[in-house]
Amino acid sequence: MPPRVYYTPESYLKQPFKLLRDMGRDLLASRELAWRLMIRDISAQYRQSFLGLTWAFLPPILMAAGFTLAGQAQVFSVGATDIPYPAYVMFGTSLWQTFTEAINGPVQAVTQAKPMLARVNFPREAIILAKVGEVFFNFAIKLILIVGLFIYFQIPVQWTVILTPVPLIHLVLLGTLAGTLLSPLGALYQDVSKGLASLLGLWLFITPVVYPVPTEGLFGLLVRFNPVTPLLVTLRELATSSVLTQAQEFWIVSILTWVGLFLTWVAFRIAMPYVIERVSS
Amino acid sequence: MTTIRTQPRNTMMQPNDRDVVLAVNQVSKKFCRDLRRSLFYGVQDIASDLVGVRRHSEKLRSGEFWALKDVSFQLRRGEALGLVGANGAGKSTLLRIISGLIKPDTGSVMVEGRVAPLIALGAGFNPILTGRENIYANMSILGLPTREIKRRFDDVVEFAEIWDAIDAPVQSYSSGMAARLGFACAVHIEPDVLLIDEVLAVGDVKFKVKCHQRLGQLRKNGTAFVLVSHNPHSVLNVCNLSIYLSKGRLLAFGETESIIRQYEEDLCLSGTEAATGRMTLPAKSAAESTGVDITSLCFKDEHGELLAAPATGEPAYLSVECNVWEPVEAANLNCQITALSGEYDKVLYLTSASDNELLDLPSGHVEIQMQMPYMGLKPGVYSARISVRQGVRSYDIVESFRFTVRAGKNVSRCLFYQPRAWKTIRHSAALKPY
Repeated sequence: MPPRVYYTPESYLKQPFKLLRDMGRDLLASRELAWRLMIRDISAQYRQSFLGLTWAFLPPILMAAGFTLAGQAQVFSVGATDIPYPAYVMFGTSLWQTFTEAINGPVQAVTQAKPMLARVNFPREAIILAKVGEVFFNFAIKLILIVGLFIYFQIPVQWTVILTPVPLIHLVLLGTLAGTLLSPLGALYQDVSKGLASLLGLWLFITPVVYPVPTEGLFGLLVRFNPVTPLLVTLRELATSSVLTQAQEFWIVSILTWVGLFLTWVAFRIAMPYVIERVSS
Repeated sequence: MTTIRTQPRNTMMQPNDRDVVLAVNQVSKKFCRDLRRSLFYGVQDIASDLVGVRRHSEKLRSGEFWALKDVSFQLRRGEALGLVGANGAGKSTLLRIISGLIKPDTGSVMVEGRVAPLIALGAGFNPILTGRENIYANMSILGLPTREIKRRFDDVVEFAEIWDAIDAPVQSYSSGMAARLGFACAVHIEPDVLLIDEVLAVGDVKFKVKCHQRLGQLRKNGTAFVLVSHNPHSVLNVCNLSIYLSKGRLLAFGETESIIRQYEEDLCLSGTEAATGRMTLPAKSAAESTGVDITSLCFKDEHGELLAAPATGEPAYLSVECNVWEPVEAANLNCQITALSGEYDKVLYLTSASDNELLDLPSGHVEIQMQMPYMGLKPGVYSARISVRQGVRSYDIVESFRFTVRAGKNVSRCLFYQPRAWKTIRHSAALKPY
């Protein structure tokens, strides 16, 4: 027997237990749909692209080429890195790209799914989950590049590499958190997606993607308080050196990510009906 | 405070009998026409909901209006409800509240079972993907698990009649094919409540018939319907109950036939001046005249009394009064009537010449009558173009004589009034031999 549903004007927060129950139910209910949407998006993406999988490799390679050339020409000086610099940049860029995909994913998904959202009442979690799945799929492809990189530069791998999925998942979740938080606003105002593009440019600059972690000055402080830093650094260290320099920061950011993700989810559920009301048809 | 407010409302909402699948109770919804302000209000609503402040949704903010106001009704299993009303009456808003897409601003909605919106033909269709892939995506969005989709897949393709195109991308489909596929997906969900918004017009006639058959079958299986349509015929064919919405308010709720009649009459009569039914034209001087001038137009009853509005099924004589300067032989009265409601269809083209009635007009003030023993037109507003001619020569033309036809005899579900009489005849006391 299908459940009886009530729609009232009250805020969902007035009935927290019902809210939690609904969230659990919708998450379960959205698995299959999320899978379906992910397959739909990925196959559409590759079917309409000539270069296909190459797009996962090209940006890190180009970025690494650019920075290596610039570094050799002494345009700027990077400190010593544990692994050869081109590999460092490519590895870092692949991770950073995954993070930006995780942020952009929910915003794009909600904006693209507007007509669908305005007409059908399906578990909204599905479109976010589908995007998260897509991010992991894309990362899996980048993994080919990363593995090739490690072999080519003959970088020794530590046993701790088997722990790398943990910071990776947290990195993606942090991005998803930020993206999901912005997505309802992004559906209302175009400013969000435009602002996000500029913001990510700046964010890349204060993240140790193409340079090792700086220790001094205002810049060092900025980089230190950047939540992406401990996740990225820990991931890299687990793979290459197995000496963790930011373990404490890593756990703080991870816990905040999980808590924040839950709160974001609640906010997303509360916000969506109002967004749909304003954008629809 | 809120809990006290909520409690009695919930108890009030408990439906009286177990068959109620949809209960709408005092539902209101407000909207804002100014986009900038509307977006801002949206953000405001989200913020107050997030911090748990009451957002006073029952009060209008500046620039807002009630798109729906205090609408209540109930729907039982297997019933079909039609929503009629002009554009902007709030029909689609009501459907969207029922499907849980947007929250009501006051009141509450209770739904039991799965709701499938047919508002969304082909929701989530991706033009690049094939029909097969899109069926899976679309039906997933509508809430069907994969194994159920697999089971119904063949039925959907069969219904949509796209066997040979099922593995081609949807962007290569004709618009009719895509619409058929969308409809086929939606009606194979087998929901408890089906919401249909103006979608019965997809495809060709054959497909429409099939759609109606499928809807009838679903209804027999206990699916309740809410149908929005501007076409009174499809409402009449599908729904036993109807709601008449106007500017967000529920004007009437009851049996479809009477609601439709009320809606049609309002639709036709609104916007017309309180006419006396007579149109008088200024007399022309000898210099302006072409020989015959129409001076007044009206309808009269069989006793020659002025009819402000002729009634369907009753006698009505169109009276054309003219000033005739010189006698005219074999004149021809030409009358072309257009329905102003609906799609501006030409409904009648009557000329005395085509009836082989040659009118001889003596000089002076003359009245020509077209005597109709029954007004065959449905209630509505019409415009008549009337001219007096002789052969190819045109004496005078009145471009538009607006008149209203009142409801007289019952013509619901009819295109026009058919005069008739009923009788039984006994041919013999014995039965016809077997």
